[in-house]
Amino acid sequence: MKKSVQIGFFLLPAVALTGIFIYYFAGWSAWASMLSWEGLSGFGHFIGLQNYIDLFTKDFVFRKGLINTLILSGSFIAVTLPLGLLNAILIDLGLKGKKAFRLIFLLPLSFSFVVSATMWVWMFAPQSGTINTLLRGIGLGALAQPWLTSSSQSLLGLVIIYVWQFSGFATLVYFAGISSVRTELLEAAEVDGATTFQKYIRVVIPLQKIPTFTVLFLLLMYALRVFDLVWLTTGGGPGYSSELLATYMWRVAFNRNQFADGAAIGFVMFILSALIVIPFVVKMRGDTS
Amino acid sequence: MNFDQLSAPVRIGIYLVLLALSLFYLLPIYSLINTSLKSEQELASSPVSPVQNPTFAAYKQAFGKINQSFLNSVIMALSATALSAIFGCMSGYIFSKYKFKGSNVLFFLIIIGFYIAPQSILIPLVRFIGSLGLYNTLFGLILTHTAYGIPITTLLFYNYIDPIPHSLIEIAQIDGASVFNIFTRIILPLSLPGFAVVGIFQFTNIWNEFLFGLTLTSGKASQPVTVAVANLKGTTVAAWNVHMAGAFISIVPVLLIYIFFLRLVIKGLLLGSVKE
Repeated sequence: MKKSVQIGFFLLPAVALTGIFIYYFAGWSAWASMLSWEGLSGFGHFIGLQNYIDLFTKDFVFRKGLINTLILSGSFIAVTLPLGLLNAILIDLGLKGKKAFRLIFLLPLSFSFVVSATMWVWMFAPQSGTINTLLRGIGLGALAQPWLTSSSQSLLGLVIIYVWQFSGFATLVYFAGISSVRTELLEAAEVDGATTFQKYIRVVIPLQKIPTFTVLFLLLMYALRVFDLVWLTTGGGPGYSSELLATYMWRVAFNRNQFADGAAIGFVMFILSALIVIPFVVKMRGDTS
Repeated sequence: MNFDQLSAPVRIGIYLVLLALSLFYLLPIYSLINTSLKSEQELASSPVSPVQNPTFAAYKQAFGKINQSFLNSVIMALSATALSAIFGCMSGYIFSKYKFKGSNVLFFLIIIGFYIAPQSILIPLVRFIGSLGLYNTLFGLILTHTAYGIPITTLLFYNYIDPIPHSLIEIAQIDGASVFNIFTRIILPLSLPGFAVVGIFQFTNIWNEFLFGLTLTSGKASQPVTVAVANLKGTTVAAWNVHMAGAFISIVPVLLIYIFFLRLVIKGLLLGSVKE
């Protein structure tokens, strides 16, 4: 058999499946998002960018979802990055029980978002939740909060849940980054009389640019797409206080059956994904080659 | 680093920080287990305090409700993991060892599929799966997870196969070995450890997935365990012990993988993100 035919055979499953399930579908979404929606009779005629114009100018929930997605991403990443670095340094110190702590830090990564959502709804429950009960138990009942059930705190609650769920990933990447710092550099710093604290501040942390960039990128990607963690805790509420693009897309497409608008929101998310991934890949390729 | 060189107050401070962090990470998990071990009466009278009379009644009840879905998830995750791993190994091999015109672009187009938010393809996916008659079938879910697994399995296997020296391939080619022969005799045996890493990565991801399961199924016959656990919430108002027990049962396979194969889990997560 000719070599090129054999190569084609080996590539066929990957190319065919990604071709259909990613590129054909994305193209279909782009096309469908430019059609009118006639309710029960389905897609109508071509209306150009009208669905997008309506989303951005008339649909306040869509705008709310976009803003909330940005706020949630920014806040939880701002906490997760330094926390991950701290966790990684604590493990790196080489204290007793470091393997146990490493497992504890990574454990939330193994939890499906469905299970995390279940646990955190219970943790945050206003009356019989773990957090408020503990606060009352130690005499800090005044600090008990309505958490996820309040429209002013629902996003904050999600930030806490996201930090819990994702900081293990940051820990992992930073730990790999710290472990790869060359021992000669650390020994040289030691010869110069640097304390442990100074070694981290002056040598280790400045070398964590690529890990930081990697974590930032992957967390942005997750922040855009995560659905279950929100859908099963706040459900985007109360009101639309914690609605995100990911939840609103599902609501529009599969609760209201408005497929043209749903496709338009989906395609906005496609563009946002591309805006996140392209700089990352360009930077990574530039750094490694 | 050498922890013992630090002064005693600093060491105590560090352990206090570690204790606080561990509390943050473990409290929800403790809450989950504590609630799941309570009887309905105990849960009603003291919802938060540590369990006094632990019982597995909630587990029994939860298992009765989600056992079919648990089995669905086993079949779905194992099949889609195996298929996406073998397809990714095949394509990763070609992209690493046989460069052709446009192969880099094609490779790039395949792997960035991993980074695309699933919402942007969800509507055509539902219609496509429906038009094949695969809505609400396990096969529909397996096909979907296989397809969306390929970008990351291709990348992981590419990273795994690329260090295998090209000279090894060239020598085999001079001896007349075909693309297929080289794959079965050189690449496959050398990338067996890669299958462990990719397999664990894919299995845990597919097992924990919810959105496709929710959107592509309705009813118990084919729904994955994540969707079944989410549905436990709706069945009875006060049955949080059953909900928690079901949640715990649903993550046992992934939890065991994390505890026993943490090294492989870490390797998969790092290969999928740090290297590009």
